[in-house]
Amino acid sequence: MPEIRVDRLTKSFSNLRVLNEVTFNVNEGEFFTLLGPSGCGKSTTLMSIAGFLEPEGGAIVCGDQTFVDRERGISLPAEARNLGIVFQSYAVWPHMTVFQNVAFPLRVRRLKRAELRERVTSALELVEMGDYGHRYPHELSGGQQQRVALARSLVYSPSVLLLDEPFSNLDAKLRERARRWLKDLQLELALTTIFVTHDQDEALAMSDRVLVMREGNVLQIDTPENVYRRPADRFVAEFVGQCNFLEGTIERSDASSALVMLRGAPNVLEIQTGGLAIGSAVTIAVRPESIAVVPDGRESELPNTYTARVRAGSFLGDHYQYELLAEMGEISMASSTPITTETVHIQIPPAACSIVERAGSNTTSPEVVPV
Amino acid sequence: MTTTTTDFAIPNPRKARVPEGFAQSATWLVTVVFVIGPLLPLLYASFRDRPLYEHGGVFTIAPYRTLFSDPAFWRAVENTLAFASLTTAIAVVGGASIAILCARTDLPGRRVLGWLTLAPIALPPLGVLLGWIVIWGPGGYLATMVSLHLHMSAIDLTSIPGMAIIGGTGSLPIVFLICQASLARTDASLEDAARSAGARPYRVLLGITVPMLRPAALNAGMLVFTLAAETLGIPLLLGRSHNTNFVSSYLYSTWTDASSPDPGSVSAGAIVLLVFASALLILRNRLLGSESRFVAVSARTGAHHPLRLGRVRHVFAFGIVLYLVLTTLLPLLGLAVMSGVAILTPLRAPWHFLTADNYQALRYSVFRHSITNSVTIALIGGALTTALISLATLVAHRSRFRLRRSLQFAVLYPRAIPGIVLGMGFFWAYLLFDPPGHFLLSSFWGILLAFSVHCFTLAYLVLYPAMGRISGSLDQAARAAGAGWWRTSTRIVLALMWPAIFAAFLLVFVAILNDYEPALFLVKPGNEVIGVTMLQLFEQGTIGPVSALAMVQLAATIVIALAAARLLRANLRRGNA
Repeated sequence: MPEIRVDRLTKSFSNLRVLNEVTFNVNEGEFFTLLGPSGCGKSTTLMSIAGFLEPEGGAIVCGDQTFVDRERGISLPAEARNLGIVFQSYAVWPHMTVFQNVAFPLRVRRLKRAELRERVTSALELVEMGDYGHRYPHELSGGQQQRVALARSLVYSPSVLLLDEPFSNLDAKLRERARRWLKDLQLELALTTIFVTHDQDEALAMSDRVLVMREGNVLQIDTPENVYRRPADRFVAEFVGQCNFLEGTIERSDASSALVMLRGAPNVLEIQTGGLAIGSAVTIAVRPESIAVVPDGRESELPNTYTARVRAGSFLGDHYQYELLAEMGEISMASSTPITTETVHIQIPPAACSIVERAGSNTTSPEVVPV
Repeated sequence: MTTTTTDFAIPNPRKARVPEGFAQSATWLVTVVFVIGPLLPLLYASFRDRPLYEHGGVFTIAPYRTLFSDPAFWRAVENTLAFASLTTAIAVVGGASIAILCARTDLPGRRVLGWLTLAPIALPPLGVLLGWIVIWGPGGYLATMVSLHLHMSAIDLTSIPGMAIIGGTGSLPIVFLICQASLARTDASLEDAARSAGARPYRVLLGITVPMLRPAALNAGMLVFTLAAETLGIPLLLGRSHNTNFVSSYLYSTWTDASSPDPGSVSAGAIVLLVFASALLILRNRLLGSESRFVAVSARTGAHHPLRLGRVRHVFAFGIVLYLVLTTLLPLLGLAVMSGVAILTPLRAPWHFLTADNYQALRYSVFRHSITNSVTIALIGGALTTALISLATLVAHRSRFRLRRSLQFAVLYPRAIPGIVLGMGFFWAYLLFDPPGHFLLSSFWGILLAFSVHCFTLAYLVLYPAMGRISGSLDQAARAAGAGWWRTSTRIVLALMWPAIFAAFLLVFVAILNDYEPALFLVKPGNEVIGVTMLQLFEQGTIGPVSALAMVQLAATIVIALAAARLLRANLRRGNA
């Protein structure tokens, strides 16, 4: 399983730039996810890798094979790239049986009959569809069709597996199961996999690394934990989960931490990001669940404590969700225990704060983390 | 891939047996040559001072000068415009009204009436025309009866309004089809909103439904006008007694009857007709493009509450039934009776003259040859056309071939070429390019080619929507699996749409069987086809056997068209599965 390098990919549809110098690497055996809202360019990127779209600029290299290099005028046709792809619609050919569907790539490769049968059978067994070879696609459920599509894309040992929102047509329960099952399979076969989704839960649950895109730009490439806990950008913080945004100016800063004066708040906020210019304006993201309630009387012992009034609360099964009004503005907070008082002391842990905006920069200038 | 099979290496995908570029370029070239092929020689012939079959000749615009200075030509233009305008008016008013009544009101039996209004679209136009003449024509059964018993004359079919009634009722199903589709697309809640606002049913129809239908009616009207302007059968069979010519029949008679034929000016006339029809087609496409912009298209509303017409609805229903009886049922019945009797006269009941002679006459060599030729041409031409247009549709819509857009235009264009112009073009093309011109001119292959090109558009109109329903990811999946364009196209795309392909074959088969206009300049003793034989023998008064032949043609058409409709429905189910 080789690695994939995507280098400065650009693409426009009638003057609208849908990919803007998209660059990333996918390591061998890695489960790599392209995440973003619809229209962000994630599917365009995937289809460019698969060979169904022609980028205007940039290069795509897989192992020692160059798929696309616009400068050198190289563009390998889709059928020569040896990739496995599972489409959102599964694209299981309705006029062929399950067996014929899975055998098709091997027939194209002229395998001997016995070997073909053996490989198709083992591929179907791998996806737990061994008994369904003679069925036609319309006799299968959505989840089963998806497995057939997967077997078909794996049977010829492709170098990389591409998945285009494969779970979006499954209902919630089935989706959960299919997700776990696919992840196990990917680990077992050590498949280099590129996965496209707009579902943040799916991205976080399955990926080794996640790339977040918006309007053709790469915003962040990192592990699921870091994308969630240390979002590089206001959009990333908002798109992946809920988030509070606090605005303030830097009061003091050393190499590894800083103090921020929040607008309207009586005391400074300590954060664990260093090297910031004093006096510069910043926006800080804090997840609702990292905010903690401080027992009465202990508020002066801890850093970053504030007083807030409870405006509304709701019970969501596994936790309570509260809308608070603090000195620096509205804050939403998730708590595992109910709050019974009208006002409450809250603490924002320094480690839970990440800077998502700085003065002079805006949301669309991402920090691309080279890997 | 799995632990058990890692010991074999998987070979690379095999090389495509048919290289992608070659297959696509060949398809493009063949299609475009067949469409453009006959038109360039025609253009060339219209600018020569002598026929192409004579040696020498220089460039000249004399043929156009001759044509434009001939008063008969201008009379033909006048007649054509008058006929086409009247035909369009009848078809649009009738077709749009019936469409609205069937789609939006509580007309009794509206589903059946709608279906019956549409059905004649599939009938062979020449057969229906013969039926009209037998019943309503000069000396026709009912025409004579009316004048005998009511002492007044029925409609005079040989006048331009008379001919326009045939033309208008013949094209009415086209208008009905287009308007019906438009009504099904537009959101009926726009009308419901007007009713909620207090408008009474007739107010809603006139204030909302009719204005909303205007773009569709305009589109249908332009199509009918174009088709009416190229009509040949009607003036040929009905206009000659009063020497009423249309442009098409003027060209045909000038070519065949004149003591000193002038092929140059006839070619010039054909070019004029071609330019006129093409301009209308282009204009119509422009309008069609803008139509989609101002038609309110939304999700189809589920249940629609039809407008209540009150008691008048029975009057409307009766009117439609009467229309269907007079314009379709009676002519077909007349044709059927005519084919089974020795003489058809209102003076004595037809069963006194019952005979099978007319059908027996079909064994005579001229009929036998025509039938064998027509069926052979329809079979081979239908198969070749379907195959070529299947490939052309693939190249136009499922490839990255650079000239793919032009291909779409090339297969749509033959619809705009009047049949008689196409035939004349092929005639010149065969004369200019020999071999194989001489062979084509003397065998049925020449006619086969002309008929096939005439049907390109029909095949495309059946195949394109069917291909559109096949999701693009199905062929992308095959490409990703390692299959080339050719293999993907044949094994996946075409394999998935075989019912539509077979339906296209059947429809082209029927269309070729019923076609005659392109063959008028190409028939010779030995390569006769049904339509031309019917036209020529009917003109000479051999009415009984021709009616029998028309009945055979009609029966074949109905059976095959029903089979095709069934297949298309099956394809729809496959597509939705």
